[in-house]
Amino acid sequence: MTKYVIRYYMPILLLVFSFSVFAVPIIEIEIRDHLFYPAEIEIPADTKVKLVIINNDRVAEEFESYELNREKVIPGGSKGIIFIGPLPAGEYPFFGEFFPKTAQGKVIVK
Amino acid sequence: MLVNSVIIILREVLEAALIISVLLAISQQLKVSRQWLFFALFIGLTGASVYAAHIEFVSMAMEGVGQEVVNASLHLLIYGFIVILVFSMKDRAYYRCMVLAMASCVAMATIREGSEIVIYVGGFISSPELFVSVSIGSIIGAGIGISIGVFFYYLITSMSLNHGLRFGLLLLILIAGGMILQATQLLIQADLIISQPPLWDSSSLISERSLIGQLLYALIGYESTPSLIQVFCYIASLFLMIFMIIKTLRYIKK
Repeated sequence: MTKYVIRYYMPILLLVFSFSVFAVPIIEIEIRDHLFYPAEIEIPADTKVKLVIINNDRVAEEFESYELNREKVIPGGSKGIIFIGPLPAGEYPFFGEFFPKTAQGKVIVK
Repeated sequence: MLVNSVIIILREVLEAALIISVLLAISQQLKVSRQWLFFALFIGLTGASVYAAHIEFVSMAMEGVGQEVVNASLHLLIYGFIVILVFSMKDRAYYRCMVLAMASCVAMATIREGSEIVIYVGGFISSPELFVSVSIGSIIGAGIGISIGVFFYYLITSMSLNHGLRFGLLLLILIAGGMILQATQLLIQADLIISQPPLWDSSSLISERSLIGQLLYALIGYESTPSLIQVFCYIASLFLMIFMIIKTLRYIKK
């Protein structure tokens, strides 16, 4: 069984785990008083982007987007990194799950 | 604030409650003492508190994707322990291995979901005016989540041994697949697996925001826009589970 798994699954796993060597554009989003700054960001279509989310509040926030398929806790006074894309053109809303009334934003892909 | 905290806590509790109730029901069907559950919950809750206390360190580790790596590992470990559990169910000789696998699944699931609850609720301790409504909301959310778990437990244990075990194992297959789906999703988010365009978009059919979408997410890891790698891993993980279960059921019959 183990041999079987190694022989047939390892090449697939190696193929799948590809580490990117190209520079990825970085966009910073800050959280202050449960609001995103900027609340709207623009990124090019079909490009992978690295989002750096800096939480200036004392309490944690959870960056969440159903459209982007992303979900991550950003501890208070800390930051988190989330990769998004490559995406087709369109609008992708995101929100802070812990304070959804105020923490709203969207990614505009052009 | 109240409604929001009900939803957040419900989501986290539901995921853990489903795993716990299905495993508890299976252990009941197999006449295993329930003692393992308390041990597993103790380890899980302790682990969740430790994880939540060090969330900043974990977040910044591995160039900012430590959280994804830890969470994906927890999901993969749960999957692994479910496979071990199904394997060791076939013979009483593997009894200890089986109990250990069940306890490990519950402990890992409690760490994963419990840590998010601790982080969320813990954030409000410093603001007493919000803390009351968040606490009430959390208790309601946890209550609903646990009730659904209890429902599944009695649903399985009220069936005959044969049917109950089969239904429990079926749910276990779906939960295991969900674990793999969530793990791949986290590794894509961390850029450790290449991201691809979604294979389909079923969000207009069943939205992940809807109640059914949330329930399906907890049960089978429902994703409205999965990528090819996610679908492939999901199907492969289901096949491995089904293969293991068929082997085990055949062995039990003998």
